[in-house]
Amino acid sequence: MPDAVKLSNVGIAPDAWIEGVKGAEFKTLIDAKRRSIVPMIIIYVTGYMGLSVLAGFGRGILGMKVLGPVNLGFVLIAGNYIMSWALAVVYARVSANNHDPLVKIVVDKARASGSIR
Amino acid sequence: MNLITIGMFGTILLLSLGITAWAARRTRTTVDFYAAGKGLTAAQNGFALAGDWCSAAAFLGFTGLTALYGMDGALYAIGPLVAFCTVLLLIAEPLRNTGTYTIGDVIMYRMRQPPALAAAIIGTVVINLAYLVPQMAGGGVLIKLLFGFRYDVSVMLVGLGMIIYVAVGGMLATSWVQIVKAVLMLGAGFVILILSLRGVGFDPFVLFASAEAKAGPNFLLPGNLLKNPFDEVSLGLGYMLGLAGLPHVMTRFYTVPDATTARRSVIWVMFLAGAFFACTTIFGLAAVHYLGPETLRVGNPGGNLTLPLLAQYLGGGKGTTGGDLMLGFVSAVAVATILAVVAGLTLATSGAVANDLYVNLIRKGKVEEHQQVLVARVSAIVVGIVATLLGILAEGVNVAVLVILAICIAASANFPVLALSLFWRRFNTGGVIGGMGLGLISSVGLALIGPAYLGPNAIWPLVNPTVVALPLGILGAVLGSLIAGRDHEHEKRFGEVTFRIQTGLRSDHA
Repeated sequence: MPDAVKLSNVGIAPDAWIEGVKGAEFKTLIDAKRRSIVPMIIIYVTGYMGLSVLAGFGRGILGMKVLGPVNLGFVLIAGNYIMSWALAVVYARVSANNHDPLVKIVVDKARASGSIR
Repeated sequence: MNLITIGMFGTILLLSLGITAWAARRTRTTVDFYAAGKGLTAAQNGFALAGDWCSAAAFLGFTGLTALYGMDGALYAIGPLVAFCTVLLLIAEPLRNTGTYTIGDVIMYRMRQPPALAAAIIGTVVINLAYLVPQMAGGGVLIKLLFGFRYDVSVMLVGLGMIIYVAVGGMLATSWVQIVKAVLMLGAGFVILILSLRGVGFDPFVLFASAEAKAGPNFLLPGNLLKNPFDEVSLGLGYMLGLAGLPHVMTRFYTVPDATTARRSVIWVMFLAGAFFACTTIFGLAAVHYLGPETLRVGNPGGNLTLPLLAQYLGGGKGTTGGDLMLGFVSAVAVATILAVVAGLTLATSGAVANDLYVNLIRKGKVEEHQQVLVARVSAIVVGIVATLLGILAEGVNVAVLVILAICIAASANFPVLALSLFWRRFNTGGVIGGMGLGLISSVGLALIGPAYLGPNAIWPLVNPTVVALPLGILGAVLGSLIAGRDHEHEKRFGEVTFRIQTGLRSDHA
């Protein structure tokens, strides 16, 4: 069945959800997600925007030779590739091992209460 | 004229049409048409995402930019990978959990007010056309070059191909055309990588040293292409947030059964497309090493012929069977790339027109299922024809500039609205209109008075205005929300929104 969102379906009792959202299980899930996602966001925004700002305003710094013919700029570009792939792997593991079981607990509880599907 | 190119292109075309015929028989409902029945696996959607995200600008453009401008080309190539960090951590799973077929669905689910949906439709259509038209023009130029047709005939052929894929085969055909194209592109990339590195004893450092020796001491420094430092920052910001606002890529997350699969498909595309982007930097340096900077400048102003020329050289050079084979292969893959990307864009645009505008906004959702599919097919044809006409008019327009404009609008208008809809309790319809309005006007307006369009007479210094337009888009979203005032019923419902974003669960009523 397509889970369509339609204009005609406006009549929802918000209260049924508030219980779910205020439940301890849901809070645990949100806290777990925040603890892992926020540091990852800080890492990639700093890593990538740092590179972009240096490309604009630190051209001499990026031009320093550090690995034979390769300058710091290309090393940082390579670092951004590694950073992105590492974050992808770490997030995949954390979300599968840590977030998904917590989601399941919340879902099971909500289903048992009968108000949500 | 190259018989090998025609043969390879013919094979790819027949394969695509076969896929379309196969998909047509499996496309009966709206969920089939817009979302391939939500039945793609993570790997399939990962390949299709790679197909969508690696346009000709990536396949031909990044290599050419690196060969002509050194580090700036490599900076163009890393951004599209980092962009997926934003999508992975913030957007993919919430989007899959809240929407059905389009970004408009997400905005409508959150806001429940027609003006918010109208703003989302405008954003989607403008971004898609800004992305679609240059691809059509690029496709026209390429086909004209390969087959010798007139430019307008060439654009019409591209338009005809994409209309058939989309209107007949829907998302299933579009997805498999993307998958085939991604496999071909990665295969071509792998062969060129091995051949490029074989000539230097598999030591990429030789390529860096040689490129610098041949193209001058400043070649490996940033700033050869983007002279204004703020343009480098705009490039970074635009990529980091723009991808998450591009409707044709984001709608791919509706083709999978759940948020977990959506997440896994992002991991796939990050490794597939990311590896390809990294290779384009090697290809650019290899082109300078093997062909020399002078050869690359002749008849190759935007650098887009660099990869075909490199492939021809690595295959054995001009006039050899190996050289012709490689040139033909790369050219055929480039055409397949453009066709696949324009098909994805046409589908996403027709989703905004048929599902958001006609079904949800005009008819308030009261449209029979079979009629919805018909409307979707008709709107795909109409969108295809409009894009073809605009593509013909766009002859000679700088293709790369328009693509950057699309990404700038996506970052400045769509991204703030989408992200705040998902995560900010007080965000409301006023905010959607304010964010979309200010983001759209500032990005388009500043681009039009900048060097991309006015050249040396530019009033505004930056090619890519994201660094200013994005903060303005966010400001518009926040101010719009505050001006519209608080709506406690609306804010109360945010609990439900959050619950669904995080779990994918739906109310019995929705």
